[in-house]
Amino acid sequence: MAHAIKYHPGMALLEQFAEGCLNADVALAVAAHIDLCPHCQQLQRDITTDLAGRLMQQRLKPDNTNWDAMLSNIMSQQEPAARTEVIEVPAQQVQVAGREFTLPRALQRLASKHGKWLQLGGIATAKIPAGSDYHISLLYISKDTEVPQHTHLGLEMTLVLAGKIADENGEYCAGDLLINSPDDTHTPRTLPDEDCLCLSVLSAPLQFKKGLTRLLNPLQQFFY
Amino acid sequence: MLKLTSPPRHDERLNSKTDIGTPMTGQDHTHQQWEDALTFVALKRDRQAYAELFNYFAPRLKAFGMKMFGNEQQALEMVQDTMLNVWKKAALFDASRGCASTWIFTIARNVRFDMLRKKQSRKDDISADDLWNGDYPESYAEEAADNWDIQLLSEKLAPHFSLLPPPQREVIEKVYLQEKTHQEVSDELAIPLGTVKSRIRLALDRLREALDGARN
Repeated sequence: MAHAIKYHPGMALLEQFAEGCLNADVALAVAAHIDLCPHCQQLQRDITTDLAGRLMQQRLKPDNTNWDAMLSNIMSQQEPAARTEVIEVPAQQVQVAGREFTLPRALQRLASKHGKWLQLGGIATAKIPAGSDYHISLLYISKDTEVPQHTHLGLEMTLVLAGKIADENGEYCAGDLLINSPDDTHTPRTLPDEDCLCLSVLSAPLQFKKGLTRLLNPLQQFFY
Repeated sequence: MLKLTSPPRHDERLNSKTDIGTPMTGQDHTHQQWEDALTFVALKRDRQAYAELFNYFAPRLKAFGMKMFGNEQQALEMVQDTMLNVWKKAALFDASRGCASTWIFTIARNVRFDMLRKKQSRKDDISADDLWNGDYPESYAEEAADNWDIQLLSEKLAPHFSLLPPPQREVIEKVYLQEKTHQEVSDELAIPLGTVKSRIRLALDRLREALDGARN
């Protein structure tokens, strides 16, 4: 049964995404959300159409570019292919903890190169070698597991890819995109009967807040 | 020039045409003009049609590039790459997914994005294809081939349509006239989805051939 996605990227984020101005790592999370969210797919199409319309309506300044040279250069290049055949690539599966997940299209290529799974209690994480500024990883949380309360030194984006996770503010299902800023503190946990696979995009390490979990802080590289 | 008329199937175009709130401008005419131009480039490598596209879009893309890069050399590199893609990949343009200017804009955006990423020269880096494959030419090649038709089912082609082999005609009718999904057709006729798709492709090839014949 289809469920409604409740947590979407804001309009500003979608606009920057469509324009191609968003930081690539953040854009990857947004792209994966869009793959899962028909609502944002439609918005994305509308925004793009609008941006293209603005591009075309620009006033042109006088300009001395030698357009004819460029035009003949282009048309002298090899004849366009009459028809491009597309080879269907089977969807990549990600395997962790004896489970198998199919990832959204945006993550297929990069996630197939994920690093090895590191395990800590009911939590496993694998880096995706994509980022330059941010750290991107897959995060698997077994059922009935709590991620110790933490705060964020930077921006944290979490996209639920499969299953369900909850924190103090609500419950998140596949497609939901959570964005936590440096001031947010939360304790995500899975439900007793459902595990969860997430995409995590972090701009800085997590910092653990409570009692003994502060001992985890030296381990924060695990999550980062 | 053969004028292709497309049935007003897609809501966007329908809306823009029936929007009586704004005075009628050249807009609609222009959209159709660029769509046709892309079609001619795709089908006939029509140099005249391409030159028209180029003369309109290249200066606008340059202005966009200047805003984004702030320097002329990169702006022109972006224009060159974008317009080369238009020349080579016109066949992948799919009018049912948006108008010509939107398609060209997305190519320019992707070219620009990848230009900026390459500057950082990292392996395994995020590329425009990862982010926008959904509306980037590479990806919708197959769908473009499947949906290519809208224009081909124009008046000019109606006579050829009835000459299609019955199994192909049946599939085409269900998909394009009754607007059924490939899956629905597959279920209804109890044939595999792959067969539905290949019949469509075969039928479209025939129609395309017929169009070429009509234009020669």
